[in-house]
Amino acid sequence: MNSLIILLFILGGGALLSYFAFLSKHAFGQAVVWLVAIASPVYFFTQVAVGESFSFSLGGFELALGFNHYSWVFALLIMVLSPLSLIYSTGYMKSRLRLGTFYFSFIFSIFGMMGILMSRDLVSLFIFWEIMTWASYLLVIYRGKDVEHTGIKYMIFSAVGAYSMFMAIVILNREMHSFDIATVIQNFGNMNAADQWLTGILLLIGFAVKSAVMPLHVWAPGAYTNTPTSFTAVFSGGLSKMGVYGIGLVLLNLYSHSDFSQVGIYLAWLGAITAVMATFRAVFQNDAKKLLAYSSVAQLGYIVAGIGLGTELSVFAGIYLAILHGAFKGTLFMAVGAVERQAGTTDMTKISGLIKNMPWTFFAALVAIIALAGIPPVGGFVGKWMLYEAAINSEHMFLVILIFISSTAAFLYSFRFLFGLFLGQQEEETAHIKEAPAVMVVPMILLSLFLVLMGTFPGIIFKPIAAGMAELGFQGVPWHMSVLYNMWGDSVNLTYVSITFGTVFLLGLVYITLIARKGTKHKLSTKDIHTAGEIPKPEDNLNYSLDFYKPFERVLSPLLKHKLDVYYNEFGKGLEALFNFMRRIYTGNGQTYALYVVVFLVALILLSGRIFGI
Amino acid sequence: MDDILIKILGAIATVILAFTVGMTYGGLSRKVIARIQNRIGPPWYQNFIDNAKLLFKVSNINHGFMQHVAPLWLIGMSVTTVLFIPVLNTGGDSWYNSWFPNLNFHGDLIFLLYLMVIGSLGMALGAGQTGNPNSAIGVSRGLTQMVGFEVPWVMALVALMIQYKTTSITGLMAAAEQQGTWLAFSSPFATLAALLAMPGMFRYSPFDIVGAPAELASGPVSEFGGKYLSTMMTSGSIFAFVKLTLYVDIFFGGANNLVELVIKTFILYMYPVLWGAVSPRFRTEQAVRFFWGWPVLFGIIALIQASL
Repeated sequence: MNSLIILLFILGGGALLSYFAFLSKHAFGQAVVWLVAIASPVYFFTQVAVGESFSFSLGGFELALGFNHYSWVFALLIMVLSPLSLIYSTGYMKSRLRLGTFYFSFIFSIFGMMGILMSRDLVSLFIFWEIMTWASYLLVIYRGKDVEHTGIKYMIFSAVGAYSMFMAIVILNREMHSFDIATVIQNFGNMNAADQWLTGILLLIGFAVKSAVMPLHVWAPGAYTNTPTSFTAVFSGGLSKMGVYGIGLVLLNLYSHSDFSQVGIYLAWLGAITAVMATFRAVFQNDAKKLLAYSSVAQLGYIVAGIGLGTELSVFAGIYLAILHGAFKGTLFMAVGAVERQAGTTDMTKISGLIKNMPWTFFAALVAIIALAGIPPVGGFVGKWMLYEAAINSEHMFLVILIFISSTAAFLYSFRFLFGLFLGQQEEETAHIKEAPAVMVVPMILLSLFLVLMGTFPGIIFKPIAAGMAELGFQGVPWHMSVLYNMWGDSVNLTYVSITFGTVFLLGLVYITLIARKGTKHKLSTKDIHTAGEIPKPEDNLNYSLDFYKPFERVLSPLLKHKLDVYYNEFGKGLEALFNFMRRIYTGNGQTYALYVVVFLVALILLSGRIFGI
Repeated sequence: MDDILIKILGAIATVILAFTVGMTYGGLSRKVIARIQNRIGPPWYQNFIDNAKLLFKVSNINHGFMQHVAPLWLIGMSVTTVLFIPVLNTGGDSWYNSWFPNLNFHGDLIFLLYLMVIGSLGMALGAGQTGNPNSAIGVSRGLTQMVGFEVPWVMALVALMIQYKTTSITGLMAAAEQQGTWLAFSSPFATLAALLAMPGMFRYSPFDIVGAPAELASGPVSEFGGKYLSTMMTSGSIFAFVKLTLYVDIFFGGANNLVELVIKTFILYMYPVLWGAVSPRFRTEQAVRFFWGWPVLFGIIALIQASL
């Protein structure tokens, strides 16, 4: 049997099996989840390869599956991140209800994502897209919290995206009589300009919804926050990248030979504006998970900006950031999940000082935050650098400034996140909190080690990305194991950075530990601090956590007054009023309907002369 | 092997130079401020004495690992940046010129901007672990102020990069050499924007709300003492040298020998010091609004100039 089908079978079958297994016995279900989490990546990395294909016909449609080098890059991300999150879930979801539904939706969404990446025709792309959307929808409403708000918002936006994608596919098929992506690319130029623009914009809307580009982002913060955290890691880290994959496919593949590719630059601007606005919102969140949700939207903004700019370096940066974002945001959501499970809340005004309770979680979160902030010598820097250089090289200077504002403001929420959860005062109420179990900690640590590795040897994933770029029309993109070049030939040598910083840090560590070693005290409580002579009692609250960035809020207050969400809500309220009016007509009372029928018949008789000419 | 040895010796010489110059400037600034306030003030070498005294403190206190290693992020950052920054022009012919190139050609400006943040991050984490609310308040103010001054500063740099089609410091210095004038003259608005952003980096008054001594008990550094404070002071001195040299390199034509470097950096250093000596303190939001006012306007003009 074809290896692609077997992979889909493992995932799809695993999803169904886990559902039924959890119905019968808990341990049985756990075993199935572990099996899928181990079997799918092992099978993927050993048996599946680029170039294999499988085609069949279903209901009159010729469907084709197979990876190309471009989709392979994203498949790598999904097949590393999802199994790790699954393993993490077995710890995180312990002793929760309806585990069958949870794991079914979880694994089924992985099935959907892998299907999207395999699809070589638009019909199967659409089918898998819907599978992924519905599976993730089930997880958004899984906790039953705030469903009428968040869940419906996610569903409406997904539906808008899906319908516009569907429309585009229908129009393309009308013109080309084929669903095959390769055929569409070939014959695209023969279509008239109006159709080109229409289908292009419709497809972009479909994909932009998932990658949360403004103004289609409003569902994301709520949905990311409400989903069980172990799936949010995949939701924000992997699932959103399907939108990025699609945008790349549309802009650089499907439409690269038409005028429509000009749209890319507007998309880049939208991405940059999304990044700035979402970052500003993230800065003022008090809930760690919500902070990360807004930050995800912002980071996706960078990625879209990179792909939208459309130069060789910027697309390279965009794809690289997409992979890296998967890794670090996955880690961060896992870390927040660990805190949520151990401490019972992610509200940064309620907990603090967990560093001594959860040192491993802190380590993983620290590395991931450094990657998020784009600080060398961790991998996130590489992507940020390439994105800046690409924008500067193509002289989009105001775009650079926007991205820069966003990423400088990102330091604010980065610090807030680490400080809020792990640093600050250690209170007695949190003293009992223990480190999360190993099944949760190990995936985080593995991902964070990957991020550290990327800081010096990003070439490891440059290789597949460069191969994928060839599919998008950038042949022979140069890459080096640990030297970065921009288009003007300026470079950064990452090995020198890591070696210098590492050496000074390690020498310093020896020095600062040894010098005056006997007089160094470190077993102090966090109440034992300089307070200008006042002695704080154990019950005194010295934590600084509310209104953390008040001065910044004062600076931005004119800007933050407007929230796009409000406009959608107003629109929704308008619709609600319309439907209320409709309900007065459709009362549900038989007599009223009878009256309508009588009125209608009378009107018909009276006006029949005019209408039918009798 | 010899090659590497010479490199390492050169690096050590650079760090010692940066340390000495930075510490001396710190001492001199105390003297200058004292004279403005009609005091006698400490001698110029007072900072060396303070540093040594702190280093030999017998008892030291930390609240945990992050605080223990916080000064190391700072010193790691400042030593790494000083190695990536060209101390002298390549054109100079003094006998010591071959000591200072270090890693100049292995990193560019965007990289440096990001490298410079490591120190603040480590410092912020260390200060956070102490649990002192003043430290956290100081960090939150410091980061906010950073968002303020980075905007005009980056605008100036991006303008220069686009105008001269290079993102490396050595490239910009070569461009200045080629056209025969300092970039300060050929790109005046970028220079203005960068210069107005500069006091924010040095955190002298009016931008000293971060560590406001009487209000926040020195803010982020309040829980650091002894060897920790000494290491931070060392790092701060090196980093002051880095910032000054970076400005001189980019905008004021670099320096051909050490005497020129010292004169140029000292004049430049006196600018935030003297401004600070006669200014009251800004609140955080006032500081940010200051940076987002005229400096940003100059930055925008510089960007437009670069695109013409």
